[in-house]
Amino acid sequence: MAVAQTSTSSSAAHRSRKLIAFLRNNASLLLIYGLILVVGVYAATQAENFRTISNMANILRQTILLGMIAIGQSVVILTGGIDFSVAMIARVVALTVATIFAAQNSNPALIVPLILLGLVVGVALGSVNGLLITRTHANPFIITFGMANILRGVSLAIATTPIRGIPREYLRIYDTKIGIIPVNVIVMALIWIAAWIFLNRSRLGRAVYAVGGSERVARLSAIRVNRTLMAAYMFSAFCASVAGLFILSRSGVGDPITAEGMDFQSVVAVALGGISLYGGRGSLWGTLGGVLLLVMMSNVFNLLQVNIYVQQLFLGLIVLIAVAAYKSPRSAT
Amino acid sequence: MDESSSKQDSPQGILSLKNIHKSFGGIHALSNVSFELNKGEVHALVGENGAGKSTLIKIITGAYTPDAGVIQVAGEEFEGLTPSVARRLGIGAVYQEFNLLPDLSVAENIFLESPPLNKVGLIDTARRAREAYTFLERLGTHTHIDTGELVKNLTVGEQQIVEIAKALAMEAHILIMDEPSSVLPSADLDRLFSIVKTLRSEGHGIIYISHRLNEIFEIADRVTVLKDGLTMATKIVTETNSAELVLLMVGREMTDMYPPKDNQPGELLLEARDLCIEGTVFNVDFQVRAGEVLGMAGLGGSGRTTVCRSLVGLGKVHSGQVLYLGQPAPRSTAGAAGVGLVLIPEDRKTFGLVLNQSVRFNVALPNLLQFQRSGLLQGKVENDAVRRIISDVQIRPENPDMGAENLSGGNQQKVVVGKWLLANPKLVIFDEPTRGIDVGAKAEIYLRIRELTHRGVGVIMASSELPELIGMCDRILVFHEGRVAGELVRKDFSEEVIMRLATATSASTTPVS
Repeated sequence: MAVAQTSTSSSAAHRSRKLIAFLRNNASLLLIYGLILVVGVYAATQAENFRTISNMANILRQTILLGMIAIGQSVVILTGGIDFSVAMIARVVALTVATIFAAQNSNPALIVPLILLGLVVGVALGSVNGLLITRTHANPFIITFGMANILRGVSLAIATTPIRGIPREYLRIYDTKIGIIPVNVIVMALIWIAAWIFLNRSRLGRAVYAVGGSERVARLSAIRVNRTLMAAYMFSAFCASVAGLFILSRSGVGDPITAEGMDFQSVVAVALGGISLYGGRGSLWGTLGGVLLLVMMSNVFNLLQVNIYVQQLFLGLIVLIAVAAYKSPRSAT
Repeated sequence: MDESSSKQDSPQGILSLKNIHKSFGGIHALSNVSFELNKGEVHALVGENGAGKSTLIKIITGAYTPDAGVIQVAGEEFEGLTPSVARRLGIGAVYQEFNLLPDLSVAENIFLESPPLNKVGLIDTARRAREAYTFLERLGTHTHIDTGELVKNLTVGEQQIVEIAKALAMEAHILIMDEPSSVLPSADLDRLFSIVKTLRSEGHGIIYISHRLNEIFEIADRVTVLKDGLTMATKIVTETNSAELVLLMVGREMTDMYPPKDNQPGELLLEARDLCIEGTVFNVDFQVRAGEVLGMAGLGGSGRTTVCRSLVGLGKVHSGQVLYLGQPAPRSTAGAAGVGLVLIPEDRKTFGLVLNQSVRFNVALPNLLQFQRSGLLQGKVENDAVRRIISDVQIRPENPDMGAENLSGGNQQKVVVGKWLLANPKLVIFDEPTRGIDVGAKAEIYLRIRELTHRGVGVIMASSELPELIGMCDRILVFHEGRVAGELVRKDFSEEVIMRLATATSASTTPVS
C-alpha cells in the first residue's frame, strides 16, 4: 500500500525535490546578493555620503583590488587548501618593482619588463607554496602562513619607508580608461572570466573541484593531483601579483604596508560567497558577491564611523559562521 | 506471522517496535514496520540496500525519531529515542566502520566513555586494564589481545572485538551488529560467531544484519526480511531456507548469480615479475591475459590490495617489475588510465566517489579528455556519455544530477564501475567489487565483468568472498602474508583449498570432518 502511495506521489515529489535541490545549491548565492541589496538599501537611507557617485566609484575600486586576490584565493580554497601568503606576495611584488624603478632613475622604458618581472616573481613564490604543499603534505595553512611571514621579513628588508621614484607613466595605469571603463576593471573582469572558464570548462578546473572533494578519490580517478595543486597556488600568486602591481600604481610609492590584511579579507570574501572552506563546492559568482558585500560593509562601517576593532571582530565572526555553516564533509555523512 | 512467543518457555521481550513509519521528504523509508527482540535471542535483519535496514537501526539507536509508531524497551514505551536515551536503555551498536581511536590502547578505547576512577577522581589505569581484560575474557579472546596494545596495531577482526567489548562496557544488553562479517577475513568468522553465541547465552539480545544468508542460518534464531520499507516476514530460522529469504528480499528467485564462463584468454596484457613492496609483498609473479578473469584471494592484510594498487602506480615498488603490454607499467594512476589500465578500488566511499558531487561529475572525472574539443569541455558530449553509462550499468535513479552520497551502496558501486567502463579500459582491476551491496546489484556487477571479458578486456578480481571468486574467475591466485601461496586453475577451485592456502594450513593438519 505504501508502495503504491509512493509511486503516485513520486513525480510531484521529484519536482519539489528538484526545486529544493536548486534552492539548496544556490542558497548561498541568493543569500549573498540579497544581503548586498539589503545592506545597500540600508546604507543609502542611513548615510547620505553612501549615495554619492564618488563613493560608489570608491566601492568599486576597492572591490577590484580585493577581487583580484579573492579570485585566486577561490581557486585555492576550492582545492581544499588556503593561501595565506597572497597579501605578502602582492607586497613583495610591489616593493621589488618599486625598488628597481628607484634604482634606475624612474626609467619609463622599464615599465613593461618590470611588470613581467613582478608577475614572474609572484608566480615563482606561488610555485614554492605549491611545491612545499605537494611534497610535504603539510597543512596548506601552515605552509602559506610560514611563507607570508618570510615575505613579511623580506619586504621589511627591502624597505621600511615608502620607496619613491615610480615613473609618472606607471602611476597613470591605475586611472587609465579604455572608453569609459578603467583598465583595472577590465583586467579584473578578464581574470574573472578566465578563471570562470578555467573552473567550468577545462579539465584542470574540474580537477580543482575533484581534489577539493576528495584528494584520494581524485588520485584514483586519474587526476594529476600535484599538478592541480601547483596550478592553483601559482594562479593565486599570479592574481596577487597583478593586484600588487595595481596597488603600486594607485599609491604612487612602494609602500611597506602594501596589501596589509588582504590575506584574511580575501578568505572572508570567499567564505561569504559560499565557497566551502573544506573545498570542492562553490562558484566564482559567490566570490564576486562576497567581495562586493565585504567592501560595501566596510565602506558603510567607515561612513557610520564604526570602531575599527568592531570591524575586525565582525570579519572574524563571518569566518566562524561560514565554517560552521559548511559542515565538514565527514560529519555530513 | 510469527509464532515464536508460544514456542519456548515464555521468551522475555526486551525490545519491540510497533507500526513504525518514517519518511524523508515524501519518500517512505519505513511503512508500518514491526520488529521484536527477546532476551537471549539473535534476530537477523535482512533486505537489499535501500530496504530500510539502516533507517530502522537509526530509529533503534535514537539517531532518527519515527513519524509514527511505538518503541518499547524493557516495558517502557517511547514515541522516539535519542542517542543518549538509547544508550541509557542499554542499546549499543557495532557498525561496519568502527568508532575506535587508533592511537589509544585497547583498554582506553573500551572505557573511553566512562573509565573507572580512583578515590581522587583520576582514571584508575590498573583497574581499567583489569576490567578491559575481563570483558575480553568474557568474549573468549583474552589470549589474543593485549589490553595495552594500541588499537591501530590490531587486525580488523581484533578491532571488532574491542568494539564489541566497548559496547559491553557501556552496559549494552541490546546489541546491534551491522554487517559484522563483511569487514572480516573468512578465518575470523568462526571467532565472531562464537562471540555472538556467548553473548546470546549471557542473555543479550542481538540484532544481526548481514548480506550473507548462510551466516543467518548458522547463528540467528529468527530473521526479519525488509523490502522497500515494509516488513515482508519474520521467520524462525529453522523453518525457512535461503531460497525463501532471497525470494522475500528481491521478489524474484536468484537461480544463478554468476553468468556462464566462456572466456577465451587472448594475448598477454600484464605480467608481474618478482614484485616486492617494502615489508608487505614479496616475490610475486603472475600474468593476466586479455579476456580472462584472474582472481586474487587472501585474508585481510595478505598483500592483495597492495598488489592491486601497485599495478596502477600507487605506492613504491621495492624491486621487481610490472610489464603492461610488454612495457614497464606507468607509475601514476593518470598514466595507467591513459593506457587502459584501471583500478576500481575497494571502499567506494573513501576511494571511489567524490561524495559531495553528482553522478555526472563522478562518471566524467577520469574521462574528461573525451569531452574536450579545442581545449574546452563540451557539456553536451559529457552529458550524452554520462547518460549512456547510467543506462548501461543501470544506475537508479537515472538522474545524472543526483548527489553521489544520496545513492544506495549498490548504485554507488555502479557509478564507480561506470566511470571506468566509459574509459574503455584494456585491463580492469576490481578490488572487493561487491562488498556491502545487495544481491541484485551484485549480479549486475558480475554481468558487467563478463561483458568486459567478452570484449577482450582482462580482469583482475580481488575479493574476500570466495563464492564470487569461484563463480567468476578462470584462475585464482591465493595470497598469504605477502606471498603467492598458490595458483589454482578452474578444475581445482574449492573454498576449502583456497582457505587452506590463505591460512597456510597444510592438508594433513586440517582436521578431517
